[in-house]
Amino acid sequence: MKHLIIGTVSALAFTATGALAQDYPSKEIAGIIQWGAGGSTDTVMRAVTPHAEDVLGGTVVMQNVTGGVGAIGLNQVASAAADGYTLLMGAENPLLYKVMGLGQKDYSDFVPINILARGTPILVAGKDAPFDDYAGMLAYIKENPGEVRFGSTGPGGLPSVVTAMINAVEGEQDVIFVPYDGDGPALTALQGGAIDVMPAVLGAAIEGIKAGAMKPLLVFEPEAVATLPDTPTAISANEGYNQYLPWGPFFGIFVRTDTPAEAVEKLTAAYKEAAEQAPFLELMSNRGFTPLNISGDEAQAFLDDWQSTTAWLMQDAGLTKASPEDFGIAKPAE
Amino acid sequence: MDAFAAFFMVFTDLKLLALVAAGTFAGVYIGAIPGLSVTMAVSILISFTFSWDVHPAIALMIGIFMGGVYGGSRTAILLNIPGAPSAIATAMDGYPMAQRGEAGTAIGITTVMSFFGGFIGIIVLALAAPSVSQFALKFQPRDYMLLAILGILLVGSLSGESLVKGIFSGAFGILIGMVGMDPLTFTGRFTYDLPLMQSGISFIAVMIGMFGVSEALAQLHHLDSAAVKQKISRIVPSFGTIKKYLPLSLQTSSIGVIIGALPGTGGDIAALMAYDHAKRVTRKPSRPFGKGAIEGLVAPETANNAAVGGAFIPMMTLGIPGDAVTAIMIGALFIHGLNPGPMLMVEQPDMFWFIVGALVVANFFMLIFGLTGIRLFTKIVEMPRAVLIPMIMLLSVVGAYAVNNSITDVYWMLAFGVLGYFMRSYGYPLGPVILGVILSRLLDDNWRRAIISEREDLGRFFHGILTSPLSLALFLAVIFIFFSQTPLWTRLKAKLLRNKNQEAQ
Repeated sequence: MKHLIIGTVSALAFTATGALAQDYPSKEIAGIIQWGAGGSTDTVMRAVTPHAEDVLGGTVVMQNVTGGVGAIGLNQVASAAADGYTLLMGAENPLLYKVMGLGQKDYSDFVPINILARGTPILVAGKDAPFDDYAGMLAYIKENPGEVRFGSTGPGGLPSVVTAMINAVEGEQDVIFVPYDGDGPALTALQGGAIDVMPAVLGAAIEGIKAGAMKPLLVFEPEAVATLPDTPTAISANEGYNQYLPWGPFFGIFVRTDTPAEAVEKLTAAYKEAAEQAPFLELMSNRGFTPLNISGDEAQAFLDDWQSTTAWLMQDAGLTKASPEDFGIAKPAE
Repeated sequence: MDAFAAFFMVFTDLKLLALVAAGTFAGVYIGAIPGLSVTMAVSILISFTFSWDVHPAIALMIGIFMGGVYGGSRTAILLNIPGAPSAIATAMDGYPMAQRGEAGTAIGITTVMSFFGGFIGIIVLALAAPSVSQFALKFQPRDYMLLAILGILLVGSLSGESLVKGIFSGAFGILIGMVGMDPLTFTGRFTYDLPLMQSGISFIAVMIGMFGVSEALAQLHHLDSAAVKQKISRIVPSFGTIKKYLPLSLQTSSIGVIIGALPGTGGDIAALMAYDHAKRVTRKPSRPFGKGAIEGLVAPETANNAAVGGAFIPMMTLGIPGDAVTAIMIGALFIHGLNPGPMLMVEQPDMFWFIVGALVVANFFMLIFGLTGIRLFTKIVEMPRAVLIPMIMLLSVVGAYAVNNSITDVYWMLAFGVLGYFMRSYGYPLGPVILGVILSRLLDDNWRRAIISEREDLGRFFHGILTSPLSLALFLAVIFIFFSQTPLWTRLKAKLLRNKNQEAQ
């Protein structure tokens, strides 16, 4: 009995004083991936984490917890202990949960460990579309109102943001939005002619463009991208895009706020080194992502900026359920 | 390295050969346990094989894929619990066979036919991949919708005694499939603001509950009756038997390849459609369907294994996944520095031939592992019920939990198990419920896409259907199959054929 009491007391003391952090990681770390197996978030996380494991000297067991636009996975990590043994591996979506009415929590309940990379949005058209460039597309839409089919992935997704930018800069476009489950299925539909135009992430479209199965119209970057040097940039097409760019979906790793500082530091160092590994960088450039590899205050500033730009763009497009103002999301500086 | 060398790479490299064998072996057992899915196994393997070369990693995944699709039939036949959604149709006639003491024969035929279907899929992949993928791309939202309606009409085949109860079950399944956040608009449907309902009801949990738990509950009624003695005189079917089912298996394999190659549909729908097809074209089945007809085993098992080759077609030619497993394999190829897409076949044809070779090897191993150990497996059915029933319950709980590591899914599973038991007791067929859940999204999403694309104008929508040859063919098939199930058609047919062959009716 005496042993039991001593055992219990010391076990309590052990957890309470955070002695675990001293030799972090002392057990397996769980990595909760917000999106399904085979998706881009999944691929990126499974590619970077083995390098981080080497640095950490521990194991990260990754698991896909999908559903609710990633909110199920986020809530699972948010309700786990803030001990650094549960990581959230996610994308940009949670920053819009509050304004889209999808949840009460977002990345403000988390500390960014690393924002790994940012994607480049690109506007692509099917190979049989009756226009070959951005200006041609705008002219065609004007002549044939309500005929051109844009693919979309629901409010808050990349296509809705890019479309909101186009509408804000070029004026409201009279087109049809056909909803798909993700940019993969939508780009398939583009190749089959079910839709005419799709705003997608460069990495998902690049192979189709190289094969001539789709036409690139515009990249949403301030400067031309290396993989598609001949595709005009949004800013060269219209100066108005300047206020929104650079913008793009991103991938990041997070832990709960109140996680012991030592765990945060060790994880940050591990993922920083992992994101510098040549095979990972090669994967990123193959898929058309811009490596960021930022953490700490820099990552937080990136998140705040992203949230402010996007939430207000959605608000102005009338796609939000609640105003960003209600959640203290600052309006972007003009 | 030319195509020839790439194709034989797996045959000649002992390490790769062993990996495919290990993968196939593991796949058969992963596939047999409901809830442990091939998709899950392959996604775990991505991290596991991260530091490997691309060839061994892919070889292992292909083994698991091939073995897993086949393995689902094991528990379907022996316990009436499909190990995977693609084995639902297999349970319809496989389990009645086991009940008659013919589990060995059923597994033997299933194995050989899966092998056959697998080969048809591989041959189509090797010889006609580019043209099949071009065909698959032609499917517009309205065509997927028509395909889903064709699928819904299978209710007639899966209903058993009462069509009305079958339709009720099917509609109930469609309703279950709609619960949760609508993925197209992110609006909750039937969620009643409960967080529990927001992510929807796991389809696998419904399947395990309806088939596994309700089966265990139903078995409680026969607790004292003796277990069925299994005769295992003949496991490998005779050449004559195989020859007899050759025409049917060629047709059902073709269904499997096409449905597998379509990016929106997979082996589960292929197997159900093939089962329906067999029921329609077989004039004199060896036994009535649903009572242990061999045709009812041949059709789904050829189709779901043919769908494996089919799923690789859009993956290899376009970089578009044909199903959930190939979606993960595309991710694996990316991680290993390849760029799956339309250029892969042009820039790296070796990879294509390597995958074809690995599939062939996996198919052979599936045959070997499938035909050995049957004696041991059939002992499961001979176990006393007092052991068997708790085992089914345990498998069901573990399986439901494993899908999403969620205890909620276990509760759903148990609830649907109890519901399934009562539905069974009152003669409501369970097959249509699962059919409804599978087809719910396909039907709903594509109907909305189709009508949104036509500016919500029904006139334009029908104009589209009538002017596209593919849509028109599917539309006519829907009308034909619908009418062939009404009494009107039976009367008309009887009248027309009265003089010719009266007894055939």
